[in-house]
Amino acid sequence: MEYDLKAMDLEIKAIEERTKRLKELARGFEAVEKNAEAILAFVYLLRKNVSDIVE
Amino acid sequence: MKRGENEYWNPIIETLPRERLTEIELKRFRDTLRWAKEGSPFYRKKLHGIEPEDIRTLEDVTRVPMTEKDELREAQEGKGFSLYGDLLAVPPEKLSVFHQTSGTTGKPVFFPDTYESWQLVVDIWCYILYAAGFRSTDRVFLPFVYNVYIAFWQGHYAAEKLGCEVVPGGGLETKARIQKMKDVQATALMNTPTYGLHMIEVAKEMGIDPKRDLRIKKMICAGEPMPEPSRLRLEEEWGADVYDHIGGTEPGGWAGMCSQKKGMHVIEPYFLFEMVDLETMSKPIPSGMKGVAVITPLCRRCIPLIRFNLKDIMTKRDDPCPCGRTSVRVDQIGGRVDDLRKIRGVFFSPNMVEEVIRAQFPEVVEFETLLTQEGVMPVLTLKVELAPSVSESQSKETKNRIREKLKIRTNLTFQVEFVKPGGLPRYSLKSARFKDMTRR
Repeated sequence: MEYDLKAMDLEIKAIEERTKRLKELARGFEAVEKNAEAILAFVYLLRKNVSDIVE
Repeated sequence: MKRGENEYWNPIIETLPRERLTEIELKRFRDTLRWAKEGSPFYRKKLHGIEPEDIRTLEDVTRVPMTEKDELREAQEGKGFSLYGDLLAVPPEKLSVFHQTSGTTGKPVFFPDTYESWQLVVDIWCYILYAAGFRSTDRVFLPFVYNVYIAFWQGHYAAEKLGCEVVPGGGLETKARIQKMKDVQATALMNTPTYGLHMIEVAKEMGIDPKRDLRIKKMICAGEPMPEPSRLRLEEEWGADVYDHIGGTEPGGWAGMCSQKKGMHVIEPYFLFEMVDLETMSKPIPSGMKGVAVITPLCRRCIPLIRFNLKDIMTKRDDPCPCGRTSVRVDQIGGRVDDLRKIRGVFFSPNMVEEVIRAQFPEVVEFETLLTQEGVMPVLTLKVELAPSVSESQSKETKNRIREKLKIRTNLTFQVEFVKPGGLPRYSLKSARFKDMTRR
């Protein structure tokens, strides 16, 4: 089974970047900020599951 | 490939060549050291003089001091509202989950997680459950009241993440749990081995044969060591595949059994696993030798743990596993260093008793080992509760056989005493079948 890890890594990085931007935009807007933080926790897991292997 | 038919939770990581796993683990170990030194005052002091960049090989890792449970306890002593002393490597406002150790060996250690570190330990448990065959088609029953202890919280959330349907069976007594399992047609179960055995007894009193009348096809056990005879007995009585795993409050779950059921895979590269010798608890030992496990969780950033001495006795295997996973495997826990006693010059672990009883005496419902002292002589007594169906003449023969088999296994003489049905305690979480009265 072939997976394109590099492409996955690029997507993970893009999600991370956009989520950080969203969090920044929503500073003090808890309903957005906390959900963005939760997304970043899962981005961390994606990095551990994929990106660390690519590097 | 259809959803749920994959063999691995992470087909890339779980089949990486060993050299690559080691490379990633060493990098993550350096990252962990850096993070710990920057964020945790405890480790800043403890790791003074250790430069993460200098750790290039597994041999270099052994130069880093180990962390003992007592140090964690001391670091939290008298810290007031902050609770965690100097251990935290994140700001306290980032904490979202609290757990604590059971306090079996001393004052409980408080162990929190951030949202991120909690999701990480849950993800690691997904590796464990997936290897044990849990899939999104399962309805998983958890017969436990969750509380401040970590037991089964990770399992619950990991099963949920896998897409299983999770049935929390906590606030019920045993008969009601068995009935609920039947009513909801649960297909998978998470429990301690002791409770799995206890439920068989209760189910039979209810006229329910777990193998015939329930639909449990897989079971994962946690909370206490499970000698192979106990695992096999659970498989036989439940008609299910029974898997073991290893975990604890501080490291979280860190190893699990695959479909081969030959030892447990360390969840690499999320942990750096080492084995040290029993005598000094510091010298590395090769595969195949019994030793003490030392573990470093590599990505959990809330409270870092560097070379944590688990004090669990086990054996590392390095034969390749037919399942295709390349991670190191360990054999089931052969006891705890804290329970290990030298009696009349012989090393004794209470697990030896369980191995003998579960493998050779199905008529024994419950048992308890007592270590006492008469004058200068240590005395081992085994209290035994037999199934009500055992006749008096059979019980005499059983007593002799138990003494004989224990003598062969442990090289020690036991006094064997019978107690009336229901006379010994039943355990739903950690069992306490060994009582050392000489240390009270």
